[in-house]
Amino acid sequence: MSAILQARELVSGYGDVRILHAVDLSVAEGGITAVLGSNGAGKTTLFRTLAGLLAAGAGHIEFCGSPIETLPSHVRVERGVVLVPEGRLVFPDMSVEENLRIGSVNARARSKCSKTLSTVYDLFPRLDERRSQAAGTLSGGEQQMLALGRGLMALPKVLLLDEPTLGLAPTMAKQIFEIIPNLVELGLSILIAEQDVHRTLQCAQFGYVLENGKVAVSGTGPELMQTPAVSEAFLGH
Amino acid sequence: MKEITRNWPFLGCLLVLAGAGIATPHLFGAYWTLVALNLAMWIALTQSWTLFSGMTGYISLGHVVFYGIGAYVVVATFKTVPLWISVPMGGVVAALFALIVALPVLRVRGPYFVILTFGVAELVKFIILNIETGLGKSSRLLFGAPGAQTLLYVMICLAIAASGLTLFAKVSRFGRGLTAIREDETAAETVGIPVARYKVIAFAASAAIPGMVGGLMALRSTYFEVLQVFNPIVSFTIVTMAIIGGSGDARGPLFGAAFMVGLSELLWANAPRLYMILLGLFLVGFVVFAPSGLVGLLARRGRETSA
Repeated sequence: MSAILQARELVSGYGDVRILHAVDLSVAEGGITAVLGSNGAGKTTLFRTLAGLLAAGAGHIEFCGSPIETLPSHVRVERGVVLVPEGRLVFPDMSVEENLRIGSVNARARSKCSKTLSTVYDLFPRLDERRSQAAGTLSGGEQQMLALGRGLMALPKVLLLDEPTLGLAPTMAKQIFEIIPNLVELGLSILIAEQDVHRTLQCAQFGYVLENGKVAVSGTGPELMQTPAVSEAFLGH
Repeated sequence: MKEITRNWPFLGCLLVLAGAGIATPHLFGAYWTLVALNLAMWIALTQSWTLFSGMTGYISLGHVVFYGIGAYVVVATFKTVPLWISVPMGGVVAALFALIVALPVLRVRGPYFVILTFGVAELVKFIILNIETGLGKSSRLLFGAPGAQTLLYVMICLAIAASGLTLFAKVSRFGRGLTAIREDETAAETVGIPVARYKVIAFAASAAIPGMVGGLMALRSTYFEVLQVFNPIVSFTIVTMAIIGGSGDARGPLFGAAFMVGLSELLWANAPRLYMILLGLFLVGFVVFAPSGLVGLLARRGRETSA
């Protein structure tokens, strides 16, 4: 499988504080790639840098073969690199439908907004039931569905999911994980950061373990499961 | 277009007000002409403020700077540049100034932004004060300015333009982007809204009409004093009217300005000593008991009667 999104020697951080030190990583086209790591390993920084919310200090990001590291975030969204941020970040006073519609604000997705909307409602019937409800009144799991749905409204080619099950009840987390393979069937490539290593490696074809802002280990799911570093650090055996 | 026509009560209200304003000089004489001018001025200013601060949630406490810059442009070019050029030029210069300061200023949020806008306005005030003192002109006299009726008619046009701009922004994709920025700026960025560009455009747009308003109001009094046209009270009053009117859209400023101008007329005439005290009490009362302002109160009442 070829890479749709690639980071090479990517350096990033906040001000003088460096978080990522020369990260190399590629997202396979049409697949699920996982980023694992404990809190503070740099997962969120990596995702924000890929999406353009943070400027890369050095290194390169390539999307579909062309460099995007200097493009502002809205242009990256228009090209098809879409982040579903950690902590969901829905627009609390807007209705569910307004939240979704604003997701297709970019020029490429705008004209297909209504069609995408029905796809998203098919994928998340819960959101369909709550169309006109204010997003801030939804439960955590529903907000995560909304954030995912809003991301899909942008017609992404690569979806960057930053800890989509953080703080969710176990049944909700399970539902989110059941939806992710469906997204691949829609033709998306996915990069997912998660703390639930078992589940993530079950659905991902390839994974990277981030430690102190560097890729410590990488490999296929089964390979990583057997790596001593991974099993000790995350699986507790 | 459909969304514009859906706002027909607002548009009707605006037209009635404009009609009353146009009739005022003929029906009620000089005093009420000045009151109408005052009302039109505050509507234009508060609408412009709402276009930026109401929609993005970036509270500007320095909007007087645009008013002052417009006034200064008109006064400095008085008798050399015709007014039909210098007044719009005041708006253009104010908008350009907003564009220039937007990039550094709009990097900060929340209370820092509030203080920064206030600081920028004070800074410009003292710079111009120094320029005027250096030129040996502590105050300028303006003879031959147009009369109150002409000023009123132009001001009504500005009030309508500002209201229309805010209404249009609210229903447009641009306005939805600004609202998204207000609700969560990071999320707005992730969905692909060009956040920086939208903020800068809104800031400049909200400066243009206040610039022209300042230019007109400079002509209203026959002398010009820097400290007067850059008086921070103007900024405070704009924010007060927006809070009392409530709502993040074009309706609030209309209600807020009408209420405050009406109230001050009533109080100045009947209880001049209590004026500021009562005004303060009203403001506290609104913030505590009706945080969504007059528009919020009316909406609640509408729901109760229909229920």
